Formats: sequence, C-alpha cells, structure tokens
Amino acid sequence: MKFDISYIFDALPRLLEGALITLQVAILGFCFSIILATFITIVKTSFNSRIFNGFIAFYISFIRGTPLLVQIFLIYYVLPVFGLNLAPFPAGILAITLNSAAFVIEILRGGLASVPKGQFEAAKSLGISGYALWWKIILPQTFITSIPPLVNEFTMVLKATALLSVITVVELMRVSQQIYSANYHPVEVLSATFIIYFLMCFVVSRSSVFLEQRFKVKRA
Amino acid sequence: MKPNFLEIIDINKKFGNINALKNVSLNVSKGEVICIIGPSGCGKSTLLRTVNWLTPPDSGKVILKGEIIGSDTGKMTFEQNRSLNEFRARIGMVFQQFNVWPHLNALENVVRAQIVVRKRMRDEAEKKAIKILNEVGLKDKIDEWPDNLSGGQKQRLAIARSLAMDPILMLLDEPTSALDPELIGEVLSVLRNLVNEGMTMLIVTHELGFASKFGDKIVFMDAGEIIESGPPNTILKSPKTERLKLFLEKLSLTSL
Repeated sequence: MKFDISYIFDALPRLLEGALITLQVAILGFCFSIILATFITIVKTSFNSRIFNGFIAFYISFIRGTPLLVQIFLIYYVLPVFGLNLAPFPAGILAITLNSAAFVIEILRGGLASVPKGQFEAAKSLGISGYALWWKIILPQTFITSIPPLVNEFTMVLKATALLSVITVVELMRVSQQIYSANYHPVEVLSATFIIYFLMCFVVSRSSVFLEQRFKVKRA
Repeated sequence: MKPNFLEIIDINKKFGNINALKNVSLNVSKGEVICIIGPSGCGKSTLLRTVNWLTPPDSGKVILKGEIIGSDTGKMTFEQNRSLNEFRARIGMVFQQFNVWPHLNALENVVRAQIVVRKRMRDEAEKKAIKILNEVGLKDKIDEWPDNLSGGQKQRLAIARSLAMDPILMLLDEPTSALDPELIGEVLSVLRNLVNEGMTMLIVTHELGFASKFGDKIVFMDAGEIIESGPPNTILKSPKTERLKLFLEKLSLTSL
C-alpha cells in the first residue's frame, strides 16, 4: 500500500473540524481549571484550615496518582450511577478541568511562594484587603512568574484531550479514527492528525516566549 | 486632660516561648517624632507592627485619637475588620525591604491604594501621585518599573505610596537599613521634610545622627521591654542604665 496524499486532502476539512473541538475542550477545560485552582489557592492561603488543605492535598495526590484515562472513564461511566448523566462533551471538559486543576494548584503554589510576604504586608498596611489584595496585588505577581509552567500545562491539556475520544467526544483523534476506519488509510489520516496536533502545540509553546516578553518589563 | 494622640497600653506579644514584647506602653502626642533604638531582636519592629495590627498583640490596646485599633478581645468581628482597614489606611508604614509592587510602575504603585481604598477617581489619584512623587524627587521616574530603580529610589517610592493616603501617623521600620551608605542621605532628606511638616512618626532606626537631630524622644528597647526613654540629649549623652551604655558603646565602635 503506497502513501497517497490525496487521502489527507480529503480528510482535512473534517480533521480541522475535529481540531476545533479539541481546542474548545482544551481551552474551556483549562480556563475552568485555572479558575478553580485560583479559588482553591486563595482559600488555602487565606484560611489555612487544616481540614481544607488536607482535603486538597488528598485530591492532588489522587489525581496525580491515577491515569487520566481512568479518571475520564470514572466521570463518564460512574457518575451516572449516582444520577449524574453527562453528555460526552461536558463530561470531557469536567475530566480535563478536575485533572488539570490539581497541577495548576501546584504551579500557583510555586508562583505564590515567589511573592515575598512583604508584598502582602505592604498592601495590608495601606488598608487593602480581601478581594482587592488578591486581585490587584498578589495574583498578578503570582501569574506573571507562573507563565512558563502554565503554558507547559496547557500543552499537556491539549494533548490529553486525545484521550477523550474513548468517551466519544468528537475531537481530532476521534474524527481521525472515524475516517480511517471507513477508508482503511490510517497512515495518511494519522500523519495528518499528528501534524495538526504538533502545529497546535507548537503555536502554544511559542506563545510562552511572547507572553514572557510582554510581561518581562514588569519583572526585569 | 486631653487624651494622647496615640496610646500604646500594656502590649504583650509572644512568639512561641519568646517574649517579644513585655507590657510595653508608650504615649505619643501629635507631631511628635519618636525614634526607637535597641539591639536586634529586642522587639522594636514588633512594637511598630502591633500599632497597625500587622502583628496582632496577645494582649493590650492601641488607641489612636481615642479609638481602639483592632480588638482587645483577640477575636475580630466583621465590623472590627473593616474599621481596622480604615485605621491602616490612615497609618502609613514604610518597610526595611521597601515592598514596592514590582508588577506596577512607579505611578501605579502610588495610585493603586488611593483608588481601591480611598475610592478616589483615577484623575484625582494620578494628580496626587504625581505631586507626591515630585516631592520625594522621583519626578522623572514616574513611568519606571520598580526593578529599574535603586534602593533609595524604591524606598522613596514606598514613602510616596504611603503619603498618598494622607496618613496622620507614619510607622517606619528601619527605612534606611537595607540601603547602600551613599543612598541613605536621599531617604533621610525626605524624612526630614516630613518632620518639618509636623508628621507624627514612629521610627525604628540605627541612624543615631538623625534620631538626635530630629527625634523628639528616643526610646531604647531591650529584650521586649522599654528600658529608657527621653529626649535625645539625655538618652544619648547620659544613659542611666548599664544596658543602654553598652549598646551605645557598641554602636560607636562600629562607626569608627
């Protein structure tokens, strides 16, 4: 069987549609995971409650200690047993969010550790507290130092979405499976899929350089 | 009798087993400049930090213009938390490590709290910031990022940030200790202007020259207690206690 490039061109429109779904799942999942992780980080630091922090530590070790594939199955097949039926797309986003949040919490912990205690004290001594303290003073510094690991985490998320094909989210990997199981040309179709994944990740990881440049002046 | 401007009454603070402050009381009248000196670890910074409740004392009261700062019961109610923020907004604090915000430029550093806490409009806040930055000699550094400023400039920026809130009391925690010797002068001259304007100040310092010239009172602390206090001349020229004598001897040795 010889490599026939015309199969790539035939498959391309559908593959790009799939890539769009991949991007949607990745971006939504990652945004939710950042929101969740930020919220957890603030609660962890502000209240310093042993019960809450213990629960979060357990959650993180659970997420890190089990395969993402198993977590995806768990959310898609086990949650319905408890009466929570999710369509593949939202189930996929939920799985990505819960998984990525564990890693983002750890990334933000590192970023927050690099913000000196004096930054909190200076803000407090001026009467800045609560929401403004975090939103205007602490979080900007935390996120600026966390740009490289956060971008790295996003590329991990982008690639992890391929696993969602197993719960029939019609993203790039799923689409390519559908195409080659119909035309029996996996080599061409998978090559195209491979290149599309690579291009997406390449653009994302290059954006790290851009973002760092953009905020560089602020940390020089 | 007219109540004192600031009253610190019987403050106690323990860190683990260490008594950082033991029944410390201090009265400050309006416009007074009080310099707190003492060996490292004697509790002088802690005393300063209990005034605006950055370090809540274990017991004792801090009273500013007749109102209690924080709480004297240990627990803070929501209402007390809010009034604490209002107190803090009126009490400027300057730190040894400057603690300017690196993600904001000089102007924004001075503007931010005015907008967030004082609820000023941006125009008004910027106008005020520019005026104050001008006063501390940072006119041409308005758009600069803190990381591009020298230590002395950072500290002057930090002072400007406090002044923009129209403080009625300034707490300065070793404002010149982290500076290169040739940069100390520019910060001290800003402080001198503040003294001349009649600002009430509590300064933890090792600059005995500044203390004796501009301080109305020098407080000597050791091991969490106020050992001696009085006008600079009496304290520095004729110390009564052995501990103060020893401390002053050590300081003059290092300046040789």
